[in-house]
Amino acid sequence: MHPFILMALSLPSWQDEQAFLVTGLALGGVYALSGVGMIVLYRTTGVLNLSFGAVGAFGALIAWQLINHSGMNQWLAYLVCVLFSGVLTLAYGMVFGRALAGRDPLVKTTATLGLTLILLGVMDLLWTSNGGASRSITLPTDNHGFIVGQVQVTTTDVIALAVGVVITIVTTAFLRYSKLGTAMRAMANDREITATLGVPVRRVEAVAWFGCGIVSGIAGILLADLVALDATTLTFLVIFTLSAALIARLSSIVITFFAAIVIGVIDALLTPVTALTNYRDMTPFALAAIALLVLNRRRVLSVGRQGF
Amino acid sequence: MSIKHVVSRMRVGLALLSALALLALAGCGSSSSSSSSSAATSAAGGATSSSTAAAATGTGTSSSGGAVSVSSCGSKAGVAATGTPINIGTIDTHQPGTDFTDGPNMINAYFACVNANGGVNGHPLKLFVELDQSQPAQVAAAAKQLIQTDHVVAIDGVFDLLECTLDQSYWKQLGIYEMDAGIAPECWSTPNSAAVNMGPRYSSDGAVQYAINSVHASKIVFVQSNVPGTGYIAAGPAAVAAASHVPITELTENVPINDASSVALNLVDKAGPNGAVILNFTPPEALVILQAAQKLGLEDRVKSWGCSTPCDTDFLAKALGPKWNHKLFVNSELVDTDDHNGPEIQLYKAILTKYGSSVAGGIGSFSQMGFVLAKYLVQALDTAKGPYTMKTVNAAIVGIKSYHSVMQCEPWTYGKLALHIPNNTDYTVTPENGKMVTVQGCTKISAADPQIAQYRKAAAAAGIS
Repeated sequence: MHPFILMALSLPSWQDEQAFLVTGLALGGVYALSGVGMIVLYRTTGVLNLSFGAVGAFGALIAWQLINHSGMNQWLAYLVCVLFSGVLTLAYGMVFGRALAGRDPLVKTTATLGLTLILLGVMDLLWTSNGGASRSITLPTDNHGFIVGQVQVTTTDVIALAVGVVITIVTTAFLRYSKLGTAMRAMANDREITATLGVPVRRVEAVAWFGCGIVSGIAGILLADLVALDATTLTFLVIFTLSAALIARLSSIVITFFAAIVIGVIDALLTPVTALTNYRDMTPFALAAIALLVLNRRRVLSVGRQGF
Repeated sequence: MSIKHVVSRMRVGLALLSALALLALAGCGSSSSSSSSSAATSAAGGATSSSTAAAATGTGTSSSGGAVSVSSCGSKAGVAATGTPINIGTIDTHQPGTDFTDGPNMINAYFACVNANGGVNGHPLKLFVELDQSQPAQVAAAAKQLIQTDHVVAIDGVFDLLECTLDQSYWKQLGIYEMDAGIAPECWSTPNSAAVNMGPRYSSDGAVQYAINSVHASKIVFVQSNVPGTGYIAAGPAAVAAASHVPITELTENVPINDASSVALNLVDKAGPNGAVILNFTPPEALVILQAAQKLGLEDRVKSWGCSTPCDTDFLAKALGPKWNHKLFVNSELVDTDDHNGPEIQLYKAILTKYGSSVAGGIGSFSQMGFVLAKYLVQALDTAKGPYTMKTVNAAIVGIKSYHSVMQCEPWTYGKLALHIPNNTDYTVTPENGKMVTVQGCTKISAADPQIAQYRKAAAAAGIS
């Protein structure tokens, strides 16, 4: 029998897939939230922040440490995580972002890999998992939920999706209607001219870096709860977010949101498909590649030639 | 938007796609792998080190129980060994996502104790540790380094993902009989290696066996990391299930697991209400699956959950909480030190306290295996005839017969056999209010696994058991 027929025959029913839809939407919501943060920073500074996941992971581990070893109230600890992520990202932006401001976007993006590797190393040193140690963050909202049909939905799942939606709407409105948002859009178009017009570009960049870090902290806490509190896992989840951003051609926040949701949902829906389950980690890569090829297929570029 | 802008965006997009792929590869490279011993995550960086057994670093001199003095590890209490050192070598994995250094660190602690209390007939033991990052050339070079440069006379304490596979012909050539905590199949299936643990396959056998015989699950879903060697590991549980006419579904998952909720849902759906889900993962991965199952209210949707030995840690028991009391059954290759507190366990804890400051995981399967490996080696060296050369020491090692440790269910024998599975009887433990407690005592792993059957036949023919 043809392999595709075999695969089709072993597909789970829609009833079985419903539960996976819920988990996919929750994760997609967090990827969307992350994507928005990355897009805003990219559009303002030209930097695609590959350390987004690592910063969030670091913040989440700090929160874990404060809750489990210092006895801090967990909501306060989460606030510390979010603020730490904001400050760390801002610090990077103010030091290295400024120094690399005039460089090619690819150079600026690659530089954030350096921060990623440093953070990964420090996290491994501070929070080693030697001896089978495993850490976890459990949000209080995990213990509450409701059932839709036969599907259990936790409050955390709802919050993850809702935060993604809210951040997307708020950020879109902010960029369109606020003075600071307009300045950010102007800088995305042309930083030099924007500076010439008297916009305090460094201050605007600082806000973008800080905002990206705040979003990273929020995403870190949610992903630590939904996925795992593991430095490596959380750091490389940035791949899913990047894919969504690429599908949106690093410009549209709304498309980023929907792309992230689609990536999360497809990834989850493939889990019970035995023939494909081990390949579902390719989902973000495959979707991004398809999107880039399809969306750019009709682009006609005319390049003029200067006389000798 | 200018054309320059468009071209720039396209270039960035395509370049970033390549960066995505590279990131994905890097992520896969750092992922943890399944193993019989707890494969823990740790800092990156490999190093080779030659270490003499460290001097005392703890503060007390006696065990926490008060009944056993730590100096009972050696033959002459309080007398430091000053003779020529006996050089012992080991090769251990130490890389991002997999750090087995607690094993050799515990051996070093044991050696430090012995050296401070008479040594082996007055000779101190010196452990040369080669760390590797699973590069085959590196592992092979480490073996040569130990023999040719460090002049070790025995290999004891290997906790390595690849070593058994790569070095077994070299050891055979030299007449070296290594003692290890095995991971690769060759640790059990070759004449020059004997392990104190059971490994992922036989430990998984034990977990499946318990689910079938004690919980009476009518279906098994066995899941493990998607890494090389899964076929070899899965063959054991498949044979055990088939012998009991219980259907088994074998799955693999890429690690690290990105969507534990979906994985948990899938496992529960496939097992059904009368089935059992058996995990063969390292604790961090097993924990995320089990916690995801709990968040979704899935823990009671199957008859039971099981796990191979890596899950046997109090970390996991504490992290899971009371909902998993007597719900998760973990195959345990070694005795639960919370349930037993005889003289040997007290000595183990005392050595850890006084000399084991570098054993990051503390009490746990790694340090237990290190303790047993060191203990058996010292005992074997005491029987070596003549000067401590490679020939005499390895003759003593391969001649190990019925060495007893409270850590293990049955006496341990090396012997000249084509394969070695000397630890093939185990416990089952379960979480109970933050600790792992024994729920089933020593139980032989089923001979439905053809390799277990083959070993028992060979051992019986050799008069070993």
